[in-house]
Amino acid sequence: MTARFRNPTGGSVDRSRTCRFTFDRQSLRGFAGDTLASALLANGVHLIGRSTKCRRPRGIFTAGPEEPNALGTLDPGDRQIPNVPLTVAPLADGLVFASQNRWPSLRFDLSSIAGVAGARFGAGFYYKTFMWPAWRWYEPLIRGLAGLGCAPKIGVDRPPRERHLDCDVLVVGGGAAGLSAARAAASRGAKVVLCEQDSSLGGELQFETATIDGRASSRWLIDSERELRVAGVELLTGTAVVGCYDDLLLALCQPAGYPGEADELLHIRAAARVLATGATERAIAFAGNDRPGVMLLGAVERFAARFAVRAGNEAVLFANHDRVYCAAQRLREAGIRIAAIVDPRARPELAVLEELERGGVRICNEQVVEQVLGGHRVSGVIVRHRDGVGTPTRISCDVLGASGGWTPALQLATQSGLAQRYDAQLGAFIPVSESATVIPAGAARGKLELAAALADGTAAGAVAATAAGRDAAPAERPALVSADPAPAVMPFWRVVGGDEKRQFVDLQNDVTVSDLRQAVAEGFREIEHVKRYTALGVGTDQGKTSGLPGAAILAEFLGKPLAEVGVSRPRPPTRPIPLGVLAGFRGAPGTVRPVRHTPLQADHVADGALMEPAGLWLRPRYYRDHGESLAAAAEFEAQRVRAAGGLFDASTLGKIEVAGPDAAAFLDRIYLARPSGIGIGRARYCVMLREDGMVLDDGLVLRLAAQHFLLTTSTHAAAAVLSHLEYHAACSAAELAVSCTDVTDAWAVIVVAGPRTRQLLRKVLPPAQWREPLEQLRHMDFHCGKWQSRPLRLLRASFSGELAYELHCAADAAPPLWRALRRHGAPDGVIPYGLEALDILRVEKGYLTSAEINGQVSPYDLRLDDMVKRSAPCIGSGLLARPALHEPSRPILVGLVAADATARLDAGAQLIAAARSTQSLGHVTSAVWSPALGRAVGLALLAREFAAHDREVVAADPLRARYTKARVTAAVHFDPTGERMRL
Amino acid sequence: MLISCPFCGEREVAEFEFRCTLEERGATAAERLYFRLADPRRSLEHWQHVRGCRMWLELHRDLRTGRVLRTASVPVPPADGTGS
Ligand SMILES: [Zn+2]
Repeated sequence: MTARFRNPTGGSVDRSRTCRFTFDRQSLRGFAGDTLASALLANGVHLIGRSTKCRRPRGIFTAGPEEPNALGTLDPGDRQIPNVPLTVAPLADGLVFASQNRWPSLRFDLSSIAGVAGARFGAGFYYKTFMWPAWRWYEPLIRGLAGLGCAPKIGVDRPPRERHLDCDVLVVGGGAAGLSAARAAASRGAKVVLCEQDSSLGGELQFETATIDGRASSRWLIDSERELRVAGVELLTGTAVVGCYDDLLLALCQPAGYPGEADELLHIRAAARVLATGATERAIAFAGNDRPGVMLLGAVERFAARFAVRAGNEAVLFANHDRVYCAAQRLREAGIRIAAIVDPRARPELAVLEELERGGVRICNEQVVEQVLGGHRVSGVIVRHRDGVGTPTRISCDVLGASGGWTPALQLATQSGLAQRYDAQLGAFIPVSESATVIPAGAARGKLELAAALADGTAAGAVAATAAGRDAAPAERPALVSADPAPAVMPFWRVVGGDEKRQFVDLQNDVTVSDLRQAVAEGFREIEHVKRYTALGVGTDQGKTSGLPGAAILAEFLGKPLAEVGVSRPRPPTRPIPLGVLAGFRGAPGTVRPVRHTPLQADHVADGALMEPAGLWLRPRYYRDHGESLAAAAEFEAQRVRAAGGLFDASTLGKIEVAGPDAAAFLDRIYLARPSGIGIGRARYCVMLREDGMVLDDGLVLRLAAQHFLLTTSTHAAAAVLSHLEYHAACSAAELAVSCTDVTDAWAVIVVAGPRTRQLLRKVLPPAQWREPLEQLRHMDFHCGKWQSRPLRLLRASFSGELAYELHCAADAAPPLWRALRRHGAPDGVIPYGLEALDILRVEKGYLTSAEINGQVSPYDLRLDDMVKRSAPCIGSGLLARPALHEPSRPILVGLVAADATARLDAGAQLIAAARSTQSLGHVTSAVWSPALGRAVGLALLAREFAAHDREVVAADPLRARYTKARVTAAVHFDPTGERMRL
Repeated sequence: MLISCPFCGEREVAEFEFRCTLEERGATAAERLYFRLADPRRSLEHWQHVRGCRMWLELHRDLRTGRVLRTASVPVPPADGTGS
């Protein structure tokens, strides 16, 4: 069964393939080849949604991607895709979609009935209303109404594909100009890619009846497509340009169209670009021009020609150019009765007029549509003389096709950096071609006539091929064309008089002529300001049909020429694209993301470690055999380190060797604590600052030889520290002879900590070589030797407060060394421990990590005053004298102990003076439950003026409603004199 | 954005990392940090070819267009030590 408004023949839909679909629970049918919009119109459905602000009923306004009104939600539910232009989305069998911005139903929207939204959101409404105290009353109301559609609850399950292409010539747009440009470029041997946002090529040619070189235009189209494929041109249909970015990189998107399919994002670099983006038909502002059934004239034509769908049975056409008369003829042939043609101009000299009149079409020259009648659908119009003289007449109709002329699609040209100028004949801005690599062509620069567009495309293709370095070739013979003449346009933007609050300029944002008048009355003069104040053109359609009329009406109110006012700058994305396309790719399964394993990865996994990502690294968090839960295992591991001993894989520490005659002088500039004073075979804890004096990182500096140092960095800061060193070696310290080498992956580091450490090492390290150093190494001494003929450095240093050694060994020697330590340590109760236990041990001892060194602390904040005092002038030290760094409100490192033995502390909690206080005095940086002390302890950054020991504060975590009383202490909670590590 | 590394040739911006903009030489550290002249037509910047040769580069960029006007390796200051 054919739908009521579908013609039995014609169009390019496949009548043999019926598609059943559901719109707002209504079951309907269309054909393969339909868009959702054409399928709805074929069933006589015109009411599609409600407008965002005023909740007025809205229909389908265009037949393409410029659609401001007809946005729908595909596959309503958890995975829904909102804001899909129904005029673009292809129909598929079984598709379910829904209207937007209505409650409880499309036909009966409560907010519009109650006049809630009807209270009129005038220009600048948000700016005037979003202020306390009025905002308090409006907020709940606005929250309910705000937004365009609803976001899906579940993210994309299929990550978008991403593709990079490069070519000689990229042709944007597959209409007459684009096709001829691609052909001209390809015939010169250029590698050409052509993209077209529509699902099929041809642009306007799909709807025109013309002959090109003796062939029907439809035939020419098929032939051209075949020729381009043969010539090796890559044709990307259904692919829209998102925007033009730096160095003319174009991003394109091929949206999936259906839920569950993957979108594709393309990046294309081309030597030259032809922008054959065509022209967009523009609207006219008149009262009630937003009623369902009012659409662009071109849309009525397209639905008839491409989909064999009648947008109505009886049409009134309202336009300011000659093309409306040819269009009327074609619409009559498609079975639409033309009740009247309303044209504000004087009667043009065209043969077709008499023909139309003979067919019963009423021609109303020098007339305008004053008002549209009807509620959920147009029922008629009131037509009057353009100057208001005489009596208005009422004409019945069920569709109104309006057209204010054509606007070249400038978005890409502007983003590519081309200037634009006003063309009075066209009543629009056109790009100025000044670049050999960005070449607008065809209707995109005002060549609306078919013959001109074809010739312009051919010329542009040749220029582009030459710019891409291809041989210049003789110009092609221009095509012989017979088609509609260029439409003579008289700029006409609005019907003067009547209710300006119902004369819509921007349909998506409900911006009316009245809003523009108000903006000017309130002193707005610049188009960009008016755009932001009124929301003109800020919608998903970017004002493609409304931007120029809006600017022209503004120019009229300002009393300035349109050329001077200009149009607002179109920014990417030029078309709405799913955010998932931009965000969803990285890290998705199946994509390339390296993982860094330490040499001991296999051993940790075999030991049942839970591996935790840290940047690209994986590190053991705890070993599952050590407890039923994370907390239990971590506590067990920490206790065992203090009671017997533990093994920790610290291989992820950054390791950088600095060598050269000036290495010591260089490090004095990099670090506080004067590393040049370190003796050979000694290590020192040092801190480096950023240029602004804030602490960048901390670590140990080992002096391997007079001109050779090894630095360790935090795991997460390794790359930043290396760049920092390389930068200063190249710039501020360029006169120093020094080189920096990252050796992180070459060396593994095994930490052996705990009271039984020395006896374990005696068993593992051959006594002939290691006995003496083992007994003699003091804290921060190291010894270089061999283990199983591989290099080994034994450094006595502690991050746990226990007697501890770091074993730096060649990466390949790490697994056998680890296994030997495991084997010989097991009888003494020495076990491996993970990051959670490490955190307990270091917080008990007040040692720092990135939780404290957070990029916002000075060395004074970390109580490193002595280190600053001992330092030579170094990077950042000059700015440490800033008074602000010493104010009483600056945070300083303190320890915290929970007042109640059973309470817990939370890292990230704010510190307040008393339970009800709303003023934060600082925050908890790290917190653990300490098995050694039997209660929760932490480190915090607390304002100096409140940092006195034994003061009581409250650690507030309002999100979890936890308020814990804590006492301020020194940062070192356990073994404050450090006896244990001097064993 | 494409950056032409004097050592490796033209590469995607993803291979590089920005560090800082530079002001006139001779200014104090505090002036460089807090009193910046923002001339969008000619921004002098230091970048590292961090996922390439790791060399430090001096870029002149027009911030209005995002275009790189000139790339050079970070110059070695004169031997008399007046460079810093
Ligand atoms: Zn390079």
